[in-house]
Amino acid sequence: MTRDAIFAVVKDNILKVLPEVCPAAISLEKSLVELGANSVDRVEVAMYSMEALKLKIPRIELHGVRNLADLVDLFHAHLRGE
Amino acid sequence: MGAHQRVALTGMGVVTSIGHNLSAFASGLRHGACGISFLRRIPASGISVKIGAEIHDFDWQQGLEAVPSADTDFLRRSKKILNRAPESTRLSACAAAQALAQSGLRHARLAEERIGLIVAGSNLHQRYIHENSARFRQEPEYINPSYALSFLDTSQVGCLSEMFALHGMGYTVGGASASGNAALYHGWQWIRAGLLDACVVVGASPDFSALELQAFSILGAACGEPYHTLPHQACRPFDRNRAGFVLGEGSGCVVLENLDLARQRGAELWGELKGGSLLLDGNSLANPVLGGEIKAIRRALEEAGAQPADIGYINAHGSSSSLGDQVECEALAAVFGDGAGGIPVNSTKSLIGHCIFAAGILEFIACAIQLKEGFLHPNLNLESPLDDRFNFAGSTASPLQAGLALSNGFGFGGFNSSLVFGKV
Repeated sequence: MTRDAIFAVVKDNILKVLPEVCPAAISLEKSLVELGANSVDRVEVAMYSMEALKLKIPRIELHGVRNLADLVDLFHAHLRGE
Repeated sequence: MGAHQRVALTGMGVVTSIGHNLSAFASGLRHGACGISFLRRIPASGISVKIGAEIHDFDWQQGLEAVPSADTDFLRRSKKILNRAPESTRLSACAAAQALAQSGLRHARLAEERIGLIVAGSNLHQRYIHENSARFRQEPEYINPSYALSFLDTSQVGCLSEMFALHGMGYTVGGASASGNAALYHGWQWIRAGLLDACVVVGASPDFSALELQAFSILGAACGEPYHTLPHQACRPFDRNRAGFVLGEGSGCVVLENLDLARQRGAELWGELKGGSLLLDGNSLANPVLGGEIKAIRRALEEAGAQPADIGYINAHGSSSSLGDQVECEALAAVFGDGAGGIPVNSTKSLIGHCIFAAGILEFIACAIQLKEGFLHPNLNLESPLDDRFNFAGSTASPLQAGLALSNGFGFGGFNSSLVFGKV
């Protein structure tokens, strides 16, 4: 799966959890906090995306994520089996 | 402070099977509307309970939008908070928004930490828990993370305090079916002692799953087979042919306030909570205990400084349970003696079912409405009274001239509570 396809999944889930966010405002360099996500929103976006991608990632690995690009990279690496 | 403060009722809100706001509820009481029907929301296939007073055709977002004081910012914040909340929390929020709007409390110049919040009930989100359990059994990795917050009863306190900026004391108060009365009594104590100037008391709607209903049924407490096909006849408090309680969904909220401060700010006073009681039987089981009920009623009268003869109306616990109604009659007879026959008695549960944690709050609201508007709501299905010593309400509303009301609430596990409410 490409990074673009993974980003599309993450974006879908951001809009599901934060329906008030403008889709155009969601870009790779943004963090979930910048998009208005609270602590529970952030976990939900990650979990719904992992479910959609059929990924199971130790939660500790999510702690280093600074923005959406990091999140997409993390998912991409796991999907490639790294 | 020193002297005890008096406690007024300044705001009320409801979401019930017979009305989604106060005026619809009052109209339902007056006309003897029955909210009991075949269960649609609770999956009842495979269990013995088929009927209940569910809330139908209610959308919580529209419910909030309909509240007069709800501005755009409040609605945006509230929807964000409630979006992932269980159903019972959403109903509590709608009832609270109505009650706070009616009270005009936001116009009172009270310090925010002088306004408290009590949510009545425990085990408020059983159906939510069961639904999430099913998801967990399927795949533990993908459970909803907000479950960690929302399964807690106290999440209702958190949601409501954020929505309405309530920063005083707050928590949940559980007393089974007496939870509503217990919470009102507790709020009354806080204001009376001068610890708070106002307290929002919310009765949470029970969100039971089929598991809880089936357990109540097997225990013999919930109304079962004889009325499976006759929902409107199922709840019959004090009738010889009663067959157990009928679950009701419903949330009620009241704003209690320091009477002097409320009067100073020109708030409309719906009445005064004059006294209450909460006593335990020392009994872990479901059976009512006569001595405990008598003590609770007497204690409430004593705290209110009232004599039995002062009571002009009784809103009975009257759950339509076989033993419960009989013991309550004995308790009332013991306290009121020969005077019992002169006091009108009804049970709001005959209209809206047994709303468990919210029952005490909704019945307190029913007392306030009936005293203010001067009518006694019907006691449905009372065709053959189990006890002829009482002046039970009939099948239609009748005029009521009463200055002081008693409202009973009794719960499994030996909770006995009574409240005395009257005109100011």
